[in-house]
Amino acid sequence: MSMNEDYDVIVVGAGFGGPVAAHKCASAGLRTLMLERSVTPGDKVVSGLAIPFYAFLYAPEFIRDGNPPLERPIRQVVNNFIRDGEIYAKDTSLWIPPPLVLTYTAYCVPLCVWLADRAVEAGTELRTRTTAVDLVMEDGKVAGVVTDKGDTIRAKVVIDAAGTQDGLALKAGLRKKLPTDTLELYMLWDYEMAREDVEREFGNKVEFFCAMPDERIVAPLGFGSTFYIFVYRDSIHPGLGQFIVTEDKVENVARHLEDYFERFTTTVSRWRDDIAPKVTLRAKMFDVCPIYAGLDRNVREMPIHGDGMMIIGDAAAMESAAFGDGVPNAWFSAAIAGDVAVEAVKAGDTSAGFLQRYDERVKAHNLIGASLSDTRRYDMRWALPGNDEREMRRRAHELFGRGVWRWRHITGQVVREAMQAMSRDPGGALKWLKMFNRFNRNCETGFSDTLSKYE
Amino acid sequence: MSMTYQEFPGVEWIEGAGDFITVDEKLCDGCGNCIRVCLAKCYKMTGKKAHVDNLERCMECGACWYSCPPDAIQFSWPPGGTGFRTLWG
Ligand SMILES: Cc1cc2nc3c(=O)[nH]c(=O)nc-3n(C[C@H](O)[C@H](O)[C@H](O)COP(=O)(O)OP(=O)(O)OC[C@H]3O[C@@H](n4cnc5c(N)ncnc54)[C@H](O)[C@@H]3O)c2cc1C
Ligand code: SF4
Ligand code: SF4
Repeated sequence: MSMNEDYDVIVVGAGFGGPVAAHKCASAGLRTLMLERSVTPGDKVVSGLAIPFYAFLYAPEFIRDGNPPLERPIRQVVNNFIRDGEIYAKDTSLWIPPPLVLTYTAYCVPLCVWLADRAVEAGTELRTRTTAVDLVMEDGKVAGVVTDKGDTIRAKVVIDAAGTQDGLALKAGLRKKLPTDTLELYMLWDYEMAREDVEREFGNKVEFFCAMPDERIVAPLGFGSTFYIFVYRDSIHPGLGQFIVTEDKVENVARHLEDYFERFTTTVSRWRDDIAPKVTLRAKMFDVCPIYAGLDRNVREMPIHGDGMMIIGDAAAMESAAFGDGVPNAWFSAAIAGDVAVEAVKAGDTSAGFLQRYDERVKAHNLIGASLSDTRRYDMRWALPGNDEREMRRRAHELFGRGVWRWRHITGQVVREAMQAMSRDPGGALKWLKMFNRFNRNCETGFSDTLSKYE
Repeated sequence: MSMTYQEFPGVEWIEGAGDFITVDEKLCDGCGNCIRVCLAKCYKMTGKKAHVDNLERCMECGACWYSCPPDAIQFSWPPGGTGFRTLWG
């Protein structure tokens, strides 16, 4: 084996979290290698995607102060309630005034490429088209990875940022396959739409749809979950999620997803008459989303580190149980893992005992903790037994209406933390304001400072 | 070489992925979960045993693997640079 196959850190995966960890390590001067199995970073990441404002407020500075490729600032959520195939009520109580933003929509490839660019700029070596198929184990300690090309690459620390269906943490004996009842299967569509039409039909709003199970369009919970339309610069991105299991039985999810979407698009006039004539289907995709993994005690108790290894983001089941947003926690946990890797390599100790501080800092992170334990979305199912529409609307109001700002919810916690931070450091608040203004302008013009070319 | 399919516009499959998902017939109890969750229709049932018919439209979601009670499905990633990709995720 040649000397140049030795690294301080190997990051597996250049999705949303990997590049953040790699950026930290490389910036501190560690020899950092990032492996990505896809051709282009992000081209195997199938996501929503709307990234809530708090991800950017508390993300590493290079994101907050940079020019990432984002699509549209979203300032309002419209909850549509459907009965007899039509919208009969709306809850539009969740909104925020400009220049503030609730969430930014984005495509995965441009954003993951931008993040990977920043990691490479900081000194990370990025190898795409490379799958890590196994770990190098030495005396029970992770000492590197084996690639699909048959290469053995050694490192002092491996950061596993391989996303949901990750197999490496299983191979290391640290984690187990996620239980089926924590998962949803999502179907996603991408439609082109002229910018004037997007402005007229949606503006800076995203829409959610709720209905009781009998409608067979989208149930609040049960085997149906959310149906949403995320709104981009000149396209829209609907997503329909279904639980894989109800009452211990695996549903015919494949058929339900196709049927429900067909029924929605042909019966609900909001789509059939207002939207359908103005859109062209560009892509159709699907993926598994581990939305309730955080609510499962056994999953929460699975280790997120071992000897020579730390596990971040979706590979560590850190998707928020409330909104299904996983990017914030992928960024937060990646930043912590990056810091700990730097400390460990400097201290010459990458044992599980040293890396324990990764665990501790993740557990002490208020936003990660609050998002993993949020039961509001899961609790929507309690509207089902009585077929209780009022209960469904009350619960939707808590989740995607003004109820979001309650102190005990994650968003309330964010506001509280932000206020504390502002009183400590008013200069920081100014940076946030600048961030919103810059991001909003960039969404208008489509500007980003991406370096890599891709197609 | 890559393939596209009418059912999934905007997605391409790069050749060389191989048999990255397999069923251990000895463990399969014929419950049919894999068929019910796979949106790409990758599985077929012969008698009381499921098998991977083809992975041509597989989006590597793992739903089959997660839904198999006796753990009869082996799931791994295809080699780097192969399998599905999309610019619209
Ligand atoms: C349908 C859906 C909707 C979602 N909506 C939202 C949303 O609106 N907002 C939000 O914030 N989050 C959303 N999420 C969650 C979000 O996409 C994830 O939480 C986020 O992508 C996790 O980041 P990550 O870095 O942990 O993993 P990923 O972004 O999945 O990155 C993992 C990377 O590792 C690579 N990889 C995997 N294995 C290997 C290997 N062995 N060798 C080399 N490379 C490997 C993959 O190709 C991939 O690029 C959604 C998810 C889904 C499925
Ligand atoms: S990974 Fe997903 S698409 Fe591929 S065979 Fe399994 S269920 Fe089907
Ligand atoms: S889910 Fe598993 S056990 Fe059930 S039919 Fe498929 S392979 Fe067989």
